[in-house]
Amino acid sequence: MKAVCWMGKERIEVHDVPDPKILNPRDAIVRITTTCICGSDLHLYNGFVPTLEQGDILGHEFMGEVVEVGPGVNKDKISVGDRVVVPFTIACGECQSCKDQLWSLCDNTNPNAWLAEKLMGYSPSGLFGYTHMMGGYAGGQAQYARVPMADVGPIRIPDGIPDEKVVFLSDIFPTGYMGAENCNIRPGDTIAVWGCGPVGQFAIRSCFMFGAGRVIAIDRLPERLRMAEQAGAETLNFDDVDVVEALKDMTGNHGPDACMDAVGMEAWGHGVIFAMDRAKQMTRMQMDRPVVLRQAIMACKKGGTVSVPGVYASFIDKVPMGAFMNKGLTMKTGQTHMMRYMQPLLERIQAGEIDPSFVISHKLPLESAPGAYRMFRDKQDHCTKVVLKPWEQQQAA
Amino acid sequence: MNQSNLPFSRQASSQFPFGSKGLLLGAGALMLYGLTRRSKSGLALATAGGVLAFRAAKPQSAPQNTRATFLVNTSPERAYVLWRDFQNLPRFMAHLKSVQVLEGNRSEWIAVGPMDREVRWTAEITGERPNELIAWRSLPGSDVETSGSVEFRRDPLDRGTYVTAEVRYRIPGGSATAALAGIFGKHPEFMVREALRRFKSLVEAGETPTISGQTHGPRGLHGRTEEVLFRETTNHPEPQAASGLPRIA
Ligand SMILES: NC(=O)c1ccc[n+]([C@@H]2O[C@H](COP(=O)([O-])OP(=O)(O)OC[C@H]3O[C@@H](n4cnc5c(N)ncnc54)[C@H](O)[C@@H]3O)[C@@H](O)[C@H]2O)c1
Ligand SMILES: [Zn+2]
Ligand SMILES: [Zn+2]
Repeated sequence: MKAVCWMGKERIEVHDVPDPKILNPRDAIVRITTTCICGSDLHLYNGFVPTLEQGDILGHEFMGEVVEVGPGVNKDKISVGDRVVVPFTIACGECQSCKDQLWSLCDNTNPNAWLAEKLMGYSPSGLFGYTHMMGGYAGGQAQYARVPMADVGPIRIPDGIPDEKVVFLSDIFPTGYMGAENCNIRPGDTIAVWGCGPVGQFAIRSCFMFGAGRVIAIDRLPERLRMAEQAGAETLNFDDVDVVEALKDMTGNHGPDACMDAVGMEAWGHGVIFAMDRAKQMTRMQMDRPVVLRQAIMACKKGGTVSVPGVYASFIDKVPMGAFMNKGLTMKTGQTHMMRYMQPLLERIQAGEIDPSFVISHKLPLESAPGAYRMFRDKQDHCTKVVLKPWEQQQAA
Repeated sequence: MNQSNLPFSRQASSQFPFGSKGLLLGAGALMLYGLTRRSKSGLALATAGGVLAFRAAKPQSAPQNTRATFLVNTSPERAYVLWRDFQNLPRFMAHLKSVQVLEGNRSEWIAVGPMDREVRWTAEITGERPNELIAWRSLPGSDVETSGSVEFRRDPLDRGTYVTAEVRYRIPGGSATAALAGIFGKHPEFMVREALRRFKSLVEAGETPTISGQTHGPRGLHGRTEEVLFRETTNHPEPQAASGLPRIA
C-alpha cells in the first residue's frame, strides 16, 4: 500500500510499504477512505518531538471501512464492512483510566510505556503515528491501517453522510470541544482562544455551544481570523496588538473568565523572551516555545481557568508560576478523551447543528502529502486544513 | 500500610529529580535523543547523556533491586490463577521463549537473549499460598542461578490487586548485572517492571500492546539505529494468542 513516511526533519515521503496485518486479537484492519494532516503532525514534521524513527508512518485522523477483524474483537461493537471513524487515541476500555472515562490515559496501550515514564512519570495511552514514546503505532496517512483495541475506539457512521462531515470526529472536533469543556464555562462567560487553526475553530464554536457570551479569538492569519468571526468571535491580531493589554481593555480590567491555548509548542511571538525561546528550541535546550501559555496565564482573570489543548512535548522555561498561584488559577489539559465525545458530537452533526467540513481548504491525493505538509506548516495558499484521499490518483502535471 | 513492603523505600536519594535508576534510563533517553538529532547540538546532548549515565551507573555495584509492584484491576484469585499456570509466563515476560510444566513442582524455562542465544534453567516451586504468593528457584545444573517470587495483595481500598514481583539472578562463576544484561539484553530491573506491566495488560485488556511486526517505510541506517534505541526490535514478544484469557466482564 501507499503510506506517508517520516524520513527525517522536514522530510516527508510517500512510499510503497507492506499492507498492515492483524498482530493482536483485538486488532482490526481499516481501508482508509479519508485522512488528514493535523497541527500536531507539524510538530513531528519540524522535528520537535523526540523518538520518531526514520520510516515511521504518520497520521492520526482517519476513517474508512473495516476489512478484517481479529478473533478477540467484540463483533457487536465492530465488524467487517462497517464504516468507521477511528479516534487518534488508543484505549483498552478495561483499565481504571478507561473506566474513569480518561481514555487518552489508558494504561494498557503503549508498548513503550517505559520510555514515556522516563519523561512524564507515567505513560499516557498509545497514539497513532505519533512517536515511539507514544506507542510507535503506524499511522493513518496510508491506504490501510491496523487499529488495535478496535472494539473500543472506532465509531460506526451511517451511510449517507459524506466523509468530510465526520472525519474530524477522529481528533480536532472533539479536541476543540474538550478544550471548551475544560474552560468551565458558565452562561455568558468571556473566553479568549489563542490560535485559530482547525483546533481553535472548533474550540470557538464549542465555547458558544457551552453558553459562552463572548469569544475573543487570537491569531495573525487573516483568513483564519475571518473564519473565527464567521462563528461569532471578536478577533485580535497578535502582530498588531499587545494581546494581554488588549484583553484587559476589552474586558474592563476584569480579564477573560477562561483562556485557551489552542496553539501549543510552536507559538510565534515578539520580543526578547520569544527570541530566547526560539534560540533554545533551535539548540534543543528547550523543545517548546510557551509564548501563548505565558500570555494565557497573565491574561486570565483572578480565579479563572486556563485550558490547554495545544500540545507540549517536554520542559518549558519562564512560566509565570507566581501569577498562576497568586491569582488562584486552574489549569486543565490533556490529549483528548476521544471516546467521551465522538457519539454526542456525531449526533450534533446529524442534527445539522454543525457541519465540520467548513475548515477544509485543500482536498488532495495522498501522494501530495510532502507538499501539503510544507504548505500547511507555512500557512501558504490560505491553507487551514488538508484532507488526503488515499485512493485518488495524482493529476498529471 | 506496611512501609517496608514498598519498593521505593530503599532507593538512594539523588540531587536529580529522577532518582538514580531513573537517572540512568533518563540519561539513556537523553543520549539516544541527542544521537537522533544528527547535528552538533545533538552530539553534545548525547555526550551529556553519556556523562549522566556514567554518574548514575557508578554507585550501582551494590545489590540490584529487582522488585516492582503494579496495581492490577482484578481480584487476587484471578491474578494468582493466571500466574500459577507457568505456561502463561512467556505471554508477559518478553525474554522467555517457553516454560514447560514438568512433574511435581518443576518447570523448564527457556529464555532468549541477544542473537537468539538460549538460556535454560529448571525451576522448582519453593513456596505457595493460594491467592497470595508463589515462589520459585532454579535447580543446580541450570545456565543461571535464579529465584523469584510474586505476591498478590488485595487493595484495602478496593482498587484491585497489588502484584509484587521480585527476581534475583546470578551467573554461576560470573559477576553481577553486566553479565546478566548481556544474557538477556536488558537490565533485570527493567525486565521485572515490564513483566508486571504486561501482566497487567494481559489481565485487564486480554492482550499486551505490541507493534512488533507492523508495517513501516524504509528505515535506512538511521531508522534501524532508532529501532534498536527505542527497543522496537527487542522489547516485544510475538503476537499474543487470545485463547484462555477472558476479558474482565
Ligand atoms: N490535545 C489534543 O488532543 C490535540 C489534538 C489535536 C491537536 N492538538 C494541538 O492543537 C494545536 C493547534 O492545532 P491546529 O491543527 O489548529 O494547528 P495549526 O498549526 O493549524 O494552528 C495553530 C495556529 O496558532 C496560531 N498562532 C501561532 N502563534 C500564535 C500566538 N502567539 N498567538 C495566537 N495564535 C498563534 C497560528 O498562526 C496558527 O493559525 C497544536 O499544538 C496541536 O498539536 C492537540
Ligand atoms: Zn490531530
Ligand atoms: Zn485502558
